[in-house]
This record gives sequence, structure tokens and C-alpha cells, in this order.
Amino acid sequence: MTSTTGTRPLDGIRVADFSWFGAGPIAGRTLADFGADVIRVESEARVDGLRLAQPQKPGKSGYNVCAYFNNFNADKRSFLLNMSAEGSREVALRLIERSDIFLSNLTPRMFERWGLTYEELCEVKPDIIAAYQPMQGLTGPHRDFLGFGAVLTPTTGISHLSGDPERKPVGVGTNYPDYAVNPGHTIVAILAALRHRRRTGQGQRIELAQIESVAATMGPALLDYTANGVNQIRKGNQSSWMCPHGIYRCADDPSGRERWIAIAVGDDAQWESLCTVAAGTSFASDDRFGTLLGRRRTEDELNAQVSDWTTSFDAASLAIQLQSVGVAASLVHDAEDMCEHDDHLAERGFYEYLDHPETDISLYDGPIVKLHDTPGYLASAAPLFGEHTFEVATEVLGYSAEEVAEFAASGVLS
Amino acid sequence: MGHDKLSAMAPTALDGVRILDLTSEMGHYCGKLLADLGADVIKVEPPGGEPSRARAPFWNGEPGRETSLRFWYFNANKRSATVDLGQFDGRWLFGQLVKTADIVIEAWTAAERSELAEHGVDPDAYMEAQPSLIWVSITGFGLDGPKSGWQVTDLIAQAASGIATLAGYPDGSPMRIAGNQAYIVAGISAAQGALLALLQAEATGRGQRVETSMQEALSICQETAHLQWDFQGTSRQRIGEQHRIPGIGTYKTRDGYIYSMVGIPGFGAPWSALVEWMEEEGQAEDLTDPPYAETFASLNMRMLMDPEEQAKFASIFARVQDVLTRFYASKTSMELYEQGQSRRLLLGQVATPADIGDSKHLAAREWWLEFDQPTKLGSDDAHLRFPGPPYRMSATPTSIRRPAPQIGEHNQEVWVDEVGIPAEDLIAFAGEGAV
Repeated sequence: MTSTTGTRPLDGIRVADFSWFGAGPIAGRTLADFGADVIRVESEARVDGLRLAQPQKPGKSGYNVCAYFNNFNADKRSFLLNMSAEGSREVALRLIERSDIFLSNLTPRMFERWGLTYEELCEVKPDIIAAYQPMQGLTGPHRDFLGFGAVLTPTTGISHLSGDPERKPVGVGTNYPDYAVNPGHTIVAILAALRHRRRTGQGQRIELAQIESVAATMGPALLDYTANGVNQIRKGNQSSWMCPHGIYRCADDPSGRERWIAIAVGDDAQWESLCTVAAGTSFASDDRFGTLLGRRRTEDELNAQVSDWTTSFDAASLAIQLQSVGVAASLVHDAEDMCEHDDHLAERGFYEYLDHPETDISLYDGPIVKLHDTPGYLASAAPLFGEHTFEVATEVLGYSAEEVAEFAASGVLS
Repeated sequence: MGHDKLSAMAPTALDGVRILDLTSEMGHYCGKLLADLGADVIKVEPPGGEPSRARAPFWNGEPGRETSLRFWYFNANKRSATVDLGQFDGRWLFGQLVKTADIVIEAWTAAERSELAEHGVDPDAYMEAQPSLIWVSITGFGLDGPKSGWQVTDLIAQAASGIATLAGYPDGSPMRIAGNQAYIVAGISAAQGALLALLQAEATGRGQRVETSMQEALSICQETAHLQWDFQGTSRQRIGEQHRIPGIGTYKTRDGYIYSMVGIPGFGAPWSALVEWMEEEGQAEDLTDPPYAETFASLNMRMLMDPEEQAKFASIFARVQDVLTRFYASKTSMELYEQGQSRRLLLGQVATPADIGDSKHLAAREWWLEFDQPTKLGSDDAHLRFPGPPYRMSATPTSIRRPAPQIGEHNQEVWVDEVGIPAEDLIAFAGEGAV
């Protein structure tokens, strides 16, 4: 496990996190990892769906036991504020006035209704850095379309371009864009805006249209269309230049669990190295496969032969053997491999195990980038629902205990 | 934000930041993000050009070192200076160049990294001489640990990070997500690290090393798989289209596919809104009859997720699936997407690159950037309609200030004008192949 004390680059920065579900809170989580005081605004009137999703701690129920939520919200403070209650906007604006960054993945309709547009935020905090993550952007004919990761995967071309060309494009099994691409781009923009603010005193609005953020990752395929008129289609695990390049079945483990190996051969020297490991197979001595061109011409046949060869091996051992001669290969990891059997991840201490009042010691992703001198870390597990409402209202917002009681009674802080 | 020509007017967020980008396709998205934000990013390449210059797709389908659309996409806004780090003089020149930089980004293999360090291209040595320097390493598995010496590619990183196993069909092999997403995510992670280190360095004068492991950066895309393992001791499997109840999944349309996510409580308009639409079009058949209407009026999470629960409704689901499949097949993907969304139904077009290229929404938002890209000698410039940025910043807009560089295009200005190598020395260095 990494350290849990020490200077971090975002010490002293406060984030008013009005986001929910995945892409927004994950951006907030990275800011928290690197030192920001992230105040996650929640409400009983509008509970984050992830608090009620799976997986939940066995035998427990309620708002505080879902790892999906907890993982993305570690090291934040949970502050209850019901934006539908009369008087709530005043509290929201006070929080924003005392923050450096405003974060939201609400639909434009929603933050307009709440009176939290950039222009309105600037009235109380002229140098705010306001990051909005609307699905389709703040303008355009599809502005009010609904969606999240599961819908973005198809609408940005990822589904069409991923998987087996002979079968339906069913997506990639997860809400992929929500986890690294959209939160990651958001953080890059926020950090750049922080630098600009330090140098000039000027804040700004960041508009991350999620559809654009994901489409930007598909640049070469999009250019192939706009420049050449070529409309690419998915091609499974095939590469445009490496061969063989695929995922091959290995021997099942003793419990009958399917095991697979990924192999990527970039040049003829690596092919020769692979053939030393596969000495005695028919493909190892087949001259047709000696050159990249030859391998590409016979790719289906070659893949079938490689697949026949791997099928009797233990995938993890074969990957180690191939890597030892310089061939890129890896066991296809499932969750058990990631959490239990990858000595490398374990030695690096990537996963963090944090104690939490309701889920006990449980697993969290570590920071996704490593700074050697001022590393990120998780100072605390996920907050309980509303755990810090009083603390934030008094210490950050400066309300008296009586005022807090009034807000609570009128449903504002709930 | 449309661009008829290259622009260089607005202030940028990374004004005055100088970056040396030594990467190829594994790392070039990091430099692209920072270059688009205004940093002066110099691609430091070997004299023949770096390998991704030879990667498809190509302009007009013509392979060559100055025609790769992939290279152009990831390297616009960068300058190119060549240097051979395999030669003593090349390494000396590089050392001079590092002195002018704030950030160095490399994606070397462990073997390259240690061999270069032995010859003096050593991050620690540079940083000792230049304490504010930031050195970013983009790696497959990190700088330490038993797999730090492993070879990596996009496919290998996706396999090793727990995401390939979730993609694809249960009766097929694990699948890679398109678009070299391991390189993309590593680039985003490294850009975050570089900027965090820059904020720290500008506040304290101290730079530091930054390290991205593709395996770790991508592993967060496992969604809940690792969390489920921690809580329940079971590994999530790829499900393809298994256990999907009607309304949820990928359906064939008149001209392609639509992704439909109708019926999950709290996500968009309810199932009844879909049946109402089908009825208006005269295609609801018997779905308004009580057994169907009532079943779908009472959809709950168990029915959505539990195969045993779903089995109880097998015949109802089969009939509904049938009618719905016919309905979706009768319209184009765009009709379904727009008409469905106008009813607040969670539908998404399974878009092809052409659908995105022709999207009236992106066009109305002026997402695409247009400019001329020089190609190989003797050819006309390519007029490009170039994918736009991932975000819009109101005070420091990103822009394309220059097209992707040709090999060594900026040798003169970088080595002579900026590093201060006498012009006649540069000619000599070029003669021996150092630049």
C-alpha cells in the first residue's frame, strides 16, 4: 500500500462535486486522490443510483454498502443538499463561492433548472473553474438526448468497431467510456484550467460533451472516413500490422475455468522467438509464416494452428515463457487474477484496502498515475450518506448550528 | 469554433511549457492532449522517423512515411526534430535539448530505458542537473515489479487489465476494445500526471518522475468486476447478449443497429412509452394486452438481472421480443435514435465512422476542424476534416495551430535557433547521421 500522508499537488483546492453516477464522481475521485477537498453533494430526494447498485456487501443493505459507489467516492465528504427544496440554491451558491472547482454531469436541463449555469456561478465566484459533462454538449440538435456509458459506446463508434465482424455489435461488456476516458479528459482540462487560473487569475467553463470526448479517442477511424471515405468495420482481435495477434484458448484450470492468452507478434524476429518456444509444431517450421506478409496472407490458418498449440498450455506459464524471449503476451486476466494472483500488481500495491464502517476492509482502485515525489493516495474510505453535512455546513459554509437546524427542518439539508 | 485556417490568437492554458515527446503510438496521445492545450511539444524522433509514421490508415490509401492519417491525428500541433540516441553525438545533442524543456515524455521499453541510461540518457542525471524537470514514463506495467520488463501492446494491456475478459460473447473469445484504448487511456493518465507534476513544479521549483502503468490505468475500466470479486468471491464473465430481456440490447434496424435500454426503472421513459410509440405507428400488435402490459409495467431489477426470475416470464418475453424486433427492423437507426430520444427513451444509434462523420449534431456544434496537411514531396496538401477536441475551454480554447510535422521539419529552428547549435555544426551532425 502507498503512503497516506504527505504533500499533494492539489492541497488547498476545494471541489463542489454536483455530479453523480460514473464519469463525474470518478473525476472528483482523482482530484481527491491528489489532495483536493471534494465535497460530494447528495440528496435523499435524488439518491445516486450507484449507492443502490451492485455489488453490495453481503448481508448488508442501505445507502452505504455498494462498492460501485464507494470506489468512486473515497476520500470525499458527503454533503446533503436537496436542490428541489426552497432556499437550497443559496446554500449551493455559498458552497460554490468557497470552492475552486465546480463539477457536474447533470443534463443541461437540470442545471439550468437549478440555476447553476456558468454565468450564474460567476456571479458568486468569478474565477470558478466550472466543468460540465453533458452527454451531447450544451448546444446542438441532440442536446437533450439522454445517455450514459452504455449508450455512448454505440453512439461513438466503439461498438461498431469492436468485436466479431460476423456477429452483432453488442458493445464491450461495460459502460467503458465512463471510467477512464470521460473522467480522465475532464481532469486534464481542469488541471490545465487550474494552471491558467494561477497565472492569470481567470477561471473558465469547461464543456466536455461526452460524445465528443469519446469520439476523440477514435480519431484514425474517423479520419479514414472524412479523408478517404472508408467506413471501417470491426475486425475482432486482428491488428492492422501485427500478426499473429489474438486471444487464444489455453487449458482450462482444474475447476473448469476457461483460460486464455493474448499474443501480439510485431515483427519477424519476434515470430522466430515465438517459434523457439513452439519448436516442433508444424507452424514453427513452415516457411510461409516467416514474413509478416506471409503471415497476414494466411492469417486464419495461422491463428487456427497457434490456437491448436496453446490449447494444452497453462496460460499464465506460457505468457511468462513467451515474455522471456521477448514476445508480447499475457494471461487474459479475470477479476480473480487481478485481485488474487497477479504478483506484479500486488508487489506494486495498486489496490488499496480501506476500512469502512459498514463494508469493513474493502478494495479500492489506487491512483491511476504515479507521481514519485508527491504521490496521490486515499486518506479515507467512501463517506457514509450525508456523513459530513453538519461539518461542511458549519466549517466550510460558516452556518451556525441553529441555521443548520433550520435548513434541516425545512428540508434543504436532506 | 470552426476553423477555416490554422489559428494562433487565443491564450492557451499551457503557454510557455516546453515538452519533448519521445514516444511513438504507445504514448503519443499524451503529447497530443498537451500540445492541443498550447504546450510547445517537440517530437524527438530517430532520423528515419518514428514507427507510427508507417501505421495505417493512410491518406488515399497510399502507404508512406508522410501519409499516415494515424500519425497526423496524434501529432498535429507538434514540431519534429530528429536525433539518433544510438550515437554519442546524438545523445550529446539531446542533452542540450533537455536543458530547454520542462517535461520529457517517453514510452521506452525497460530494456531501452536501461540501455539508454547506461549511455547517459538518464532521467535521474538530467533531473539532478535540472531540478524543475518533469520526466514522464509511459509503460505497460510500471517501472518496477516482476513484469516491468514485459513487452506490451494495446492487446496485451487490455488482456492484463481485466477488461478483455468482459468484452465479447460467452461462447467466443475475450475481445479487445477498438481504437487502441490502452494507449489512449495511458496517454490520458500520463497527461494528468504531467499536469499535476507541473502544478507542483511551478509552485515549488521541484520536478519529479511520473509513471503510468497501462495495466493499472486501464484496470479501472473493469467497472465492478474486481469489486464483485472482493465482496462475493466470483469473477464477472462476459455476457454478450445473454440474459437480456426485451427492450435491452442491440437490435437490427433497416440500415444498421440500435442499442436499446428501455425498461430499467429510473433510466429514461418507461416501457409503456415504447409501446405507445409502436401503437401510434400501428406496430404494437398485441403488446397492449394485459399479460404483456402488466408484466412490463412491473419490471424490477430482479427481472432484469436474475436468469431464474426471467425464466418465469419466458413465453411473454419471447412474444414481446418478437414484436419489438420487427418494430426496430422497420425503421432506420437514426429514425429510432431521434424519435425514441424525443420520447425520452434511452436509445443509441450503433454509429459507424460515417454516421459520426455525417452527424448533424457534431456539425452544428462545429466540432470538426478543417486545415491543410502537407503530405509527401510533390503531392498536393491534404485538406482534412479533422476530429475535434475532447473538451471546450471558454478562456483557453484548444486549437490546431500547425499540422503534423514532417520528419525533422523543425531541425533548423530547434537545434540552431533554440538550442544554439552553430549551423555548420548541425550540417556536420547531419552528415554523420546524428540528426
